[in-house]
Parts: sequence; structure tokens; C-alpha cells
Amino acid sequence: MTLLSNSTCAPCGPRALGALLLGLLALAPAAHAGNGKLAIKAGRVITMAGADITNGVITIEDGRITGVGADSKAPWDADVLDHPELVAFPGFVEAHSIRGMDRPNENVPVAPFLDVRDSIDPISFFFEDCLRSGILTINIQQGPACVIGGQGMVVKPFGLTIEQMLVRSHSGLKVVAAPRPGRSRATQAQELRKAFLELRQYLDKLVQDKKDGKDYARREALFQGKDLEKEENKKGRAQEGNASWKIDGLEMIPRGEIDDQKEPLLRLVEGKIPAFFYCDSAMSVRLALEVARANGFFANTVLVLEGDAWKAADVIAESGLPCVLSPNLMYVERDPLTGKETETFVPKVFADKKIRFALQSVNAGPQSLWFQAAQCVAHGIERKAALESVTKTAAEVLRLGKRVGTLEAGKDGNVVLLSGDPLSVTSTVQYVVLDGRLVYDRSKDVRMKHLMSGVEQANSTPGGAMENSHPHDEGPEAEGEKPKKDKGEKDEKEEKKDPEPKKD
Amino acid sequence: MKTQWLLLSLVATASLARAGDDERKAWTILAEKIYTSTGRVIEKGMVQVNNGKIAQVTPSVEEGGAATELKVYAVTAGLIDASARLGVSLTSVEQSTEVQPHRRVAQAVDIFAPEFERVLAGGVTTVLVNPPDSNVIGGLGVALKTAGGDTLESRTVRADVALRGAIGSQPSGGNRPAFGRATDFFNRRPTTRMGVEWEWRKAFWDAAQVERDESKRFPGIERMQEALAGKLTVSIQAWTTQDIRTAVFLKEEMEREKLGSPRLVIDAAAEAWKEPQLLVRSKTGVVLPPFPALGRTGDGAFMAWNTAQLLHEKGVVVALSAHGAADLDERLAAQAGYAMRGGLSFEAALAAVTIHPARLFGLEERVGSLEVGKDADLVLWNGEPFEPTSRPIGVIVDGVLRVDPRPAPVD
Repeated sequence: MTLLSNSTCAPCGPRALGALLLGLLALAPAAHAGNGKLAIKAGRVITMAGADITNGVITIEDGRITGVGADSKAPWDADVLDHPELVAFPGFVEAHSIRGMDRPNENVPVAPFLDVRDSIDPISFFFEDCLRSGILTINIQQGPACVIGGQGMVVKPFGLTIEQMLVRSHSGLKVVAAPRPGRSRATQAQELRKAFLELRQYLDKLVQDKKDGKDYARREALFQGKDLEKEENKKGRAQEGNASWKIDGLEMIPRGEIDDQKEPLLRLVEGKIPAFFYCDSAMSVRLALEVARANGFFANTVLVLEGDAWKAADVIAESGLPCVLSPNLMYVERDPLTGKETETFVPKVFADKKIRFALQSVNAGPQSLWFQAAQCVAHGIERKAALESVTKTAAEVLRLGKRVGTLEAGKDGNVVLLSGDPLSVTSTVQYVVLDGRLVYDRSKDVRMKHLMSGVEQANSTPGGAMENSHPHDEGPEAEGEKPKKDKGEKDEKEEKKDPEPKKD
Repeated sequence: MKTQWLLLSLVATASLARAGDDERKAWTILAEKIYTSTGRVIEKGMVQVNNGKIAQVTPSVEEGGAATELKVYAVTAGLIDASARLGVSLTSVEQSTEVQPHRRVAQAVDIFAPEFERVLAGGVTTVLVNPPDSNVIGGLGVALKTAGGDTLESRTVRADVALRGAIGSQPSGGNRPAFGRATDFFNRRPTTRMGVEWEWRKAFWDAAQVERDESKRFPGIERMQEALAGKLTVSIQAWTTQDIRTAVFLKEEMEREKLGSPRLVIDAAAEAWKEPQLLVRSKTGVVLPPFPALGRTGDGAFMAWNTAQLLHEKGVVVALSAHGAADLDERLAAQAGYAMRGGLSFEAALAAVTIHPARLFGLEERVGSLEVGKDADLVLWNGEPFEPTSRPIGVIVDGVLRVDPRPAPVD
């Protein structure tokens, strides 16, 4: 439940790799369509783009969906996955997660130059669990114990290298409006403002040095044969976006001349990379909006909300920004005076105010996104909106609306086949198709079998252990009869054996 | 200042219940589905509550539009958390003795603890509260309603409901011999599982022999005698297979030695799926712990998600528990759903959170099903119970509407 919880565990590394490799090998024949064409036939197709289709066909070519419909024709040479008993679904989208990394937090407070790609562990148990839960798109961001964190990355939960998993790199910068552990809120606010002030001062100095002819860094680069002007052609000139501050003369600076450690923050200011702005409370929302407005990335901000941040819903609604909500859907508050507790189902507040929101998982297993969406329905949110918060809207928040989130022609060939309705407790993911390849088959999922289908131990001979551990044991002949007897019968037999009945 | 306080408290109380609801103990509930926990499902029926008891459960509907009429999708009996671990501080352990069958947890329960109201909102109307499991035999548990009067007596469904103890690593956890160190709380025995088992056997044997040998007497030995005679249910926490074995063998040893026949319930029996025959042959009831996402649960035990289904299929009486959790993904209704995910039928899942725990702990005269004459403990649902797409929207305890399913008045 806690935000910093990390489902991955270091000791399972090598084992997981082994299992994953085994899984890959087992699936390899089925996954190989040969010509990259696949047709999926399902009893019901939930497209999330219009009405559900009964007995629909989804055709995928070269990793992309080419058609979805009841009359969609499968190419004659395509592999066919024919499951009239199953329900096809687009696959869940996790709009924000700090899992899947070796550790979620970095102890450098301002580190926009970091990249979670160096921290993501492809063989982490987390991704395996995502796959079997039908979560096919995951935005991984650094944890909130910082001021400005590293750059996030959107991945799919399959592949042994980060390149294989990649959906989109530099998916956003983590910016934090909540105090780091051991710091005050005021310190956090100052450090946050200072980070942008320092960027501004740095850029100012660059311009001034250039004007003064003191741009030694550039000259040094030229001396070394590094042509920054050419890089300029590739990367363009340094410039700002919509920030309230402006550096006169910044257009003189070639892009390549800007320090790599500062550049990602400038990209944020320019609106080239979105911010995932973490707010742990209603009051931190105000700070987030202030900093985002002042530094030009307001329009590219996604609010990641925890705690009582939902109380700022009116301000958020006015801002028009999309939100990723806490995995803890129910906010419980105790009146300091009466001691009376009140509960607020947070997504309902956002749904009622028509704020765009995506949900986060409690874990990647049985309480993952499907469960969160189902809870929304239980608390009065329309089924369509609830499903969208874990598919379509989540994809839009990640600006991947054209690639994932619905089953439509042109989108990535990601399909989840479920045994029933995606929001029912008895439904399970049976198959996962990712980029047109069958990558998960529940009947071959050894871990799932272990978890869901415990088998009575074959050597379970009740009573066997008693002879050794209990000196008063009667002996084996009595044990053989025991399982069938009920209490009354047993007393009778024992009395027969014992000529002297016990005193009552 | 004073007026401010007054105003604040007025605002707070105004939102709680509508005038008169608190005293009203008569309701008519109209539902699409009435799940009675007796194997009967009534479609489009009516439950009438009068004077705190269930007065009628019938398929015929008489709609009157009265103020006491509640219309919902489904009704079940109030849920029973068979191992609630609520209202008792677990930070301290009685250290005067390891075996204390005479102690009553009821005397440590804070019935005003907010946890009761939290689980109530999740549809739990009765909870089994046991002494903490850090002693070998911790004392007597109590069955309480989660709402009702302001006294322990008025909340008690049944006092001294079970003799509670533990087998496993918990009673000896942290204990160590006193060699060379300053004396502290952990300088006590037992320090191993073996020691824990020995304490149990000694207590039972002493209880059986005390009539002949007065030197065996210890405080609470009468309770051990009642347990031996099968008059007082013995509830033992045992997570792993080895501990479940120990508990069952203990019972069987008593029977074999003709010392008595304890009525045994194993709580937190996570690994019961490994050797269900043990439980079948010894007629032992089982309370399962909350379902763990990755299977790992207390005492290093692994609970497969089909445990409830497997035991139920073999005829073991299974109850579920949430350990008092109120979170949406952990509460008892969710646990029943998870049992269904593991293959248990809806009917059996319902029984496992209503009539089964009632039977295991001798509460079925009052609670556990929708039958005329029983306490009017009802849960009103806005959809199919235990599906995560629905939730308890109304809760009635002893005829009093504690959670109101009607939309809040606009004015």
C-alpha cells in the first residue's frame, strides 16, 4: 500500500532469469508467426473505442493492429488464435509506477540528468506479474524522495533487455512538491524554485560569456575538434518555451554547448518533455501549479496525487491538468475533535468534477489495475469511465493515445485474452499478445499454477509422523481406520478394544 | 469559544444518521436477490426486520413506499470475521505465564476503537477477537458485534467463545535463555517449537490428572478440562503444515489416551491445502488467513489460492478472515472474492464468511444466516456480493441501520 513499496526482490534475480528464459523457450514456437501475421478470434471484444463486438476478429500484421471487427477478415496466411470462450481486451496501462527498478529513489536531490533506463531491472518479478495481470504498458518514474528526479521511461513487461522493453524513452521528469524525508515543506519549495533559478543563472552566464568573448568551453571544444555549430544543426539553438522568465540572447548558444547535466531541465522548460509532478497533499498542489506556471511546463504537467491532494480537486479542475491517482483509493480521515472517521472514495471526486484521471495499481498481482477499476464501479463511477482510467485515459496521459489503450486499427498489436469480464474477480488472463507476438500462456505459467492451484501432497499419509514424535501412539493398525470414522463410531470401537470402560 | 465547539459538534453529528434511525429497529428490505446462507437464494424478495430480529424472509414483495423501506440489489447476513485481531493492543504480552487459559481478552478490548466502525462499513457485523498469540495458551476469545451499545456486555454475542493459543514460532519468537545477560522480558521459555508443543501437552495432561494429583493444578486448569471435554472450542493459530500437524496430533493424542475430545479449530491454517486429510479425519474446522498476493504469509507459510476450495471440496468447514483489515483490497468481502478467484463457489464463499464461522464458534443460534428469529444483522449490496464491482452500501446490526444505503439528503 505504501508508495515506496517495491514488489521486486533482489534475491530472486538469477532464479527469475532462469524462469523467464524457460518461459521464453516454452513459448517460442507459438510466438513465432513466421510472417508476422496473427488473427485473434474472441467471443467478445472490448475495444474501448465504441461498442463491444460479439465474436470479433482482431488482425495484427508486423506488430500493428490492422483490423478489428465482427467481419474483419483474417489473412489466409495468418496464425489464428481462436478462442470463442474468451474476452479480448486492449491491455491495461499503468500511467505511473516506481516499481521495477533496483531502487526507486536517488539521493541526489536535483538530478534531471538521470534516466530510469539505467535502473530498470528487466528480469524483476514485477514485470512478470504485470504480464500475467495484463498490464502491457508501464510508465516507470523515479521515486518521490527528491526535488527533481530523473527521466522516466515507458516499457512493456517483456524482454530481457531494456531495448526490447522500450515503448518510449524520456517519458517525463519527476518533479516533487512534497518534502523529502527529513526536510520541511518550506525547504522543498525553496529547493524546487532554486533548481529553476540555477538553470536560469547558468543560461544567463552562458549568454554573458558569449557576449564577453569568454565562452571558453566552446573554444575548448573547437580546439578539440568538436564542432558545436554542427551539433547546432542537429539539435537546434537553445531556446525557452513559455516560461515567465526569458534569457535574452539565448538563441546565440548552440545546443551542444549546454551542459548535459542541465539540458534535461531546459527541455522541461521548453515543453519538450512532460513533468510528473508529485503532490502528497492539497497544499503541495498549489506549489506544483506555481512552479509549473512560472517555468513554462504547465501545459505539459501530469499531477501524481497522494494523501489529501484530492481536496484540491477544484483547483485541479480549473487547471485542466490530468492526474494519476494514489493506489489507495479510499481516503480515511479522523475528525480531530469528535474522533469520527469519514471515508472519501477519491476517484469519485475526480469523476464528478470531470477531471481526467488514471489509476495506479496496489500491486502488479491480484490487486492490480483491474481491481482498482472495479472498485470505481462499486463506488458509483460509470463502467466506461472506470475502464478508461486504466486504458484509454492512462494512454493519453502518457501521450501514447495513438499507440495503446484501445483496440483499433493502426495501434500496437497488444491484446489480452481474459476468461471473463475484465472487472470480475473470477476472471483471469489466459493469453497476452504483445506487438503481435504471443508472449504469455497461462497454462504454461508455472508460478501461477503454484500460487493458484495447490496440490495435496502425494506423500500425505496422515498419522505417519506420529509414530516418531508421539510416544503414546497406539500403532499403525488404528490409524488405517481413522479417516472414515466419525466421533461416535470411534468411541464404540475403542470401547470394544478396551474391556475396561473408562469411568465417566 | 464555547459556541464554536458546540457548533462543530453539531455539524459533525448531523451527518451521521437521520433523526430517529438510531432507535428504529424495524425495516423492510426489498432486494433483487436475497442470499440467505442456508443454501436458498430468493429472487425479488423481502426481508422484514422487527425489534432487532429477522421477522420474515419471503419471495413475496409488498411495496409500501414507507420510510422504513430500503431497496437494494442484494442482501446477505452480516459478515463474520473469524479472526479479527481488533481492538486489542498487540504491543504488550502477558509475561507472568505462558499458559493462561483463565485470562479473558474481553477485558483488554476497547470497543470504542475506530477499527470496529471501519470493518462495520465493510459489512462485518460480528468479529472473533482472540488474545494475542505471543503466549502459548493466551486465554479466552470473545465474539463481539461491531456496533451496538456502549458496554462490552451489550456488544458480546458470546463470551469465552474459544480457548485460544498458538503453535508455531510466534509464542517462542524472540525468547532466549538468560545466560550472562541482564534479565529482560525475553528471558523466558519456551524458546523453540518443541517447547511450545510441550507446553500444550503438559497443560492438557495436567488438566486430565489434576483430580488425582493436586500438584498439577495451575490457574485456569478448569478451562483446560472444559476444552478436553469438548465443551469449550480450542482455537489454535498454526500457519504451516508442521504446526497444523502438531495441533491435530495433539487433539488425536487426547482422544487416543481417552483424556477427552477437544473441539478443534485451526486459525490461520495457510498450509492446510498440503494435508487436507488430517483435517477431514480429525473433524477439525479451519479459519484461513487473508489471501497473500504472492502466496507468502505468516510464519513462512505459503497459502495457495485454491486452499478454501480444496478444503471445502473435502468437506472441511472453512471460514475466512481478514484479520480486521478494512482496506478495500484486504477486507473480508474482498477475501471472499479472492476465495472465489481460487475456485470456491459463491455459495461456499458466502458460507465461509457467515454461517461457517458461526457454526465453528457456536454462534449459529444468533448470527450467520438470514433466518426468522435470528439477530437482524444484514448487509445490503449494490451488486453481486464479493465482486469488486460492488460493495456493501448498507449495514444493519441488531435491527439498527448503521450504514445508510439511501443517498444523502440534498438539503
